[in-house]
Amino acid sequence: MKQIVFSGVNKYYGAFHALKDIDLAIDKGSFVALVGPSGCGKSTLLRSLAGLEKITGGDISIAGEVVTALPPRRRDVAMVFQSYALYPHMTVEENLTYSLKVHGVSKAERKRAAGEVAATTGLSGLLHRYPRELSGGQRQRVAMSRAIIRNPKAFLFDEPLSNLDAALRVHMRKEIRALHDRLGATSVYVTHDQIEAMTMADHVVVMRAGVIEQQGRPLDLYDKPANKFVAGFIGSPAMNFIPATVEEGGRVTVDLGAGPVELAVAVAAPVGARVLIGIRPEHLTLTAPGDGRLVAAVAFTESTGFTTFVSTATTPELMVVETGRRAVASGDRVGLAFDDASVHVFDAETEQRL
Amino acid sequence: MSETFRNRLLLLVALALAAVYLFPLYWMYITALKTGSEMFRTPPSFWPDEPQWAIFPFVFQLKGMAQFLWNSVVIASGSVALIACLGTGAAYVLARYRNVWVDVGLFLVLMLQVLPASLMITPIFVLFTLTGLLDFPRTAVVLAIAAKSMPFFIVLVRATFMSVPMELEEAALVDGNSRAGAFWSIVLPLARNGILVSAILIFMQAFGEFVYSKSLIQEIELQPSSVGLNAFMGPNTNEWNRIMAFASIYVTPILATFVLLQRRIVSGLTSGALK
Amino acid sequence: MRRLYSSLVDGRGFDLCLIGVPLAFLIVLSGLPLVYNVVMSFQAVDMFSLGSFIRPWVGFQNYRELVAQPEFWPIMGHTATFLAASIAGQFLLGFALALFFWLDFPGASWLRGLFLVSWVMPGLVVGAVWNWLLSGDFGVFNFVLRELHVISGNVFWRSDPTFALWSVIIANIWLGTSFNMILLSVGLSSIPADLYEAAELDGAGALTRFWTITLPMMRSTIGALISLGLIFTLQQFDLFAAITSGGPNNASNVAQYWAWDLSFKQYDFAKGAAISVIMIAVVMLASVYYVRSTRHEVRG
Repeated sequence: MKQIVFSGVNKYYGAFHALKDIDLAIDKGSFVALVGPSGCGKSTLLRSLAGLEKITGGDISIAGEVVTALPPRRRDVAMVFQSYALYPHMTVEENLTYSLKVHGVSKAERKRAAGEVAATTGLSGLLHRYPRELSGGQRQRVAMSRAIIRNPKAFLFDEPLSNLDAALRVHMRKEIRALHDRLGATSVYVTHDQIEAMTMADHVVVMRAGVIEQQGRPLDLYDKPANKFVAGFIGSPAMNFIPATVEEGGRVTVDLGAGPVELAVAVAAPVGARVLIGIRPEHLTLTAPGDGRLVAAVAFTESTGFTTFVSTATTPELMVVETGRRAVASGDRVGLAFDDASVHVFDAETEQRL
Repeated sequence: MSETFRNRLLLLVALALAAVYLFPLYWMYITALKTGSEMFRTPPSFWPDEPQWAIFPFVFQLKGMAQFLWNSVVIASGSVALIACLGTGAAYVLARYRNVWVDVGLFLVLMLQVLPASLMITPIFVLFTLTGLLDFPRTAVVLAIAAKSMPFFIVLVRATFMSVPMELEEAALVDGNSRAGAFWSIVLPLARNGILVSAILIFMQAFGEFVYSKSLIQEIELQPSSVGLNAFMGPNTNEWNRIMAFASIYVTPILATFVLLQRRIVSGLTSGALK
Repeated sequence: MRRLYSSLVDGRGFDLCLIGVPLAFLIVLSGLPLVYNVVMSFQAVDMFSLGSFIRPWVGFQNYRELVAQPEFWPIMGHTATFLAASIAGQFLLGFALALFFWLDFPGASWLRGLFLVSWVMPGLVVGAVWNWLLSGDFGVFNFVLRELHVISGNVFWRSDPTFALWSVIIANIWLGTSFNMILLSVGLSSIPADLYEAAELDGAGALTRFWTITLPMMRSTIGALISLGLIFTLQQFDLFAAITSGGPNNASNVAQYWAWDLSFKQYDFAKGAAISVIMIAVVMLASVYYVRSTRHEVRG
């Protein structure tokens, strides 16, 4: 059963085309991440779903009902804002129960509901504080609790973790996902951080310039990116791209300046077509200069202790990620080994996967 | 030079500057307390020999100040009420949107703010004569002041609304409230202080308003204190102690309010006037 | 009906309603009178035709007659003097005070705010107090100047044609200095401190820092303030009414007082309207500049 359906959604701000023919169906109970660089339209899409933006064309339906023309209050969705948007003149309890109050729930019932939610999110002792008296993490919890107290048809998250420090962010990632599973809710989560999207979501939607570039399960996106943009966006550090040309029989060779190397991939493209070879940094391994497929000089290395990032002095520059500490220094000549099965090929013109 | 010594010295200089600057006010109160002959003494005395406290009730009675002050209060309250009711909504809309129409609206509002009252009074006089409003002169003055001061109020309150994050209102909408409900229960309470300060400023302005009252109100018993004071000051008056007593009674409530709420008024004023 | 209600509560109708009513109010009570003024300045008007729109059209006749009056150019000159002297005095004194209070010592902000009482007082009271302070024989202002040996004999501020305008200017400077100071203080405190630290590291002395950092950073504040000063000063009416009534013999008369005097004392409404139109044109230019000076704000 589809809980949320966007069909042919368009949004213009004046002449600016912010959303271009968005079609997206979201299963009931799934956790969907909208991810992309800033300005890609992901927040606009979420806000359109909430009813905070009026779409220019197309339809949005929630739980089988077309809500395109309805104001936010008739859509029965809950939203967690990036800034949390806690009402500063209300206590935590009043913040939590604001929506219940608006819907005419009795005072006793509101109090009970607030106590119940606060117990599950660890806010029990803070119900009578004001938002300004809370830490960043506590505010985040209040924002979440305010959403779950209502049992809405969908939870919308607009970059809810970007104001937290790194450690708390990793922790809250798990907590939000656990909450989603416990409530059996449908969640739409906007983030610019692909790691958040990959780790939390069942279904990732990558957007760019108002268009959905690719959607699917996180590992499918990682394994089979549909185009160069998705390939470069998903995965960290970003995928290496090497320009190459298709030869007789669909063979592809790459040349980093030390002679051509043939790859065991067959591409259905005419001879002479220009393509891009994509190899993820984690799929490249350092070897002795003679042992690898490619030869390169080391430009510089960065180590985090557990992993080492090695950049090569080639054109284009390649990034290699190695676990452990490698005794290579800038200027050293190294060989690069890789498995042909991990190589991606994209059309240089259309940037689509071949 | 130690830090505390520097601070004390600066404070001393500041107090001296304030004393010089506020001397006219001091002189107003002191003159009121002097006798008729002491007032014209040379060199002037900077402290009255025998403070004439009785002058305040005397002038209050003599000039019928109760009626004057009451009229000032009626006019100022009416203006503030009208301005706050109409201006708050306009300020909110002008703060919430950013587009060409808002800029045009804001520009018009500012334009109307700058027209000198002494120039607008003729057409307003004609308008009120034609509509018969001149038979209710205080109402007429309230309307005229509202039209004159509302732009100032809108500019100040708009700045307040701009400091209320838009997400709060959006959160209220998603939480199930209507636009009107969100405005009433979220935006207005958060902008309350700014609105209050602006209303106080408007009240002070309207309390001292002169041109419209002078031109539109003929009946003495409906005139506010400013017109009363003006009539008191004939061209060759020498009742300066009584005039100063009148002035003191007139401005003391305003000054007291201002000193009490000084910090808020100043911050409300500065956030609006330059934005 | 239902749609109308839902638009009023949830959509555009809500905004339109909030902005529409005050806008209509302002158009009726400010816009219409403005148009009426402009129209009237091109017509022949007397007491009896004041209430009707259809009156003989006389083109620029009112303007020509106005300019031909012997007092026209002197009064325009007074207006210019009044404007320039008031704005310069308010601004320079205000800036000096703002710089002093910028030194930041305990009690600075409270004392600074206290100055603003001169601005919140009714203009007529300010006028009355200064009228008394500037009195010729018994005024304390003359006494202080004599004690400081600035003058030897008493100056008859209000009745001497040379000084009458200046008596109003002095009162107006007193009234507006505090407002200038407060806004300039805000401008000063919004300059980030690290700019000064950087300049100091670069070897700039106090005076250089003032010229190269303070003044340029204050440009929009100063621009806004000067135009606001122009607007407030052109609106100043109460002080004239309370101190000199434009006299003696028009020596302290300015355009805004003259316009009122022509209309309400001499019942020459058309000429009064003609002055208004001239002044409104000036004020509009100032407010265009004001709006542009404050346009730097950015909304996230």
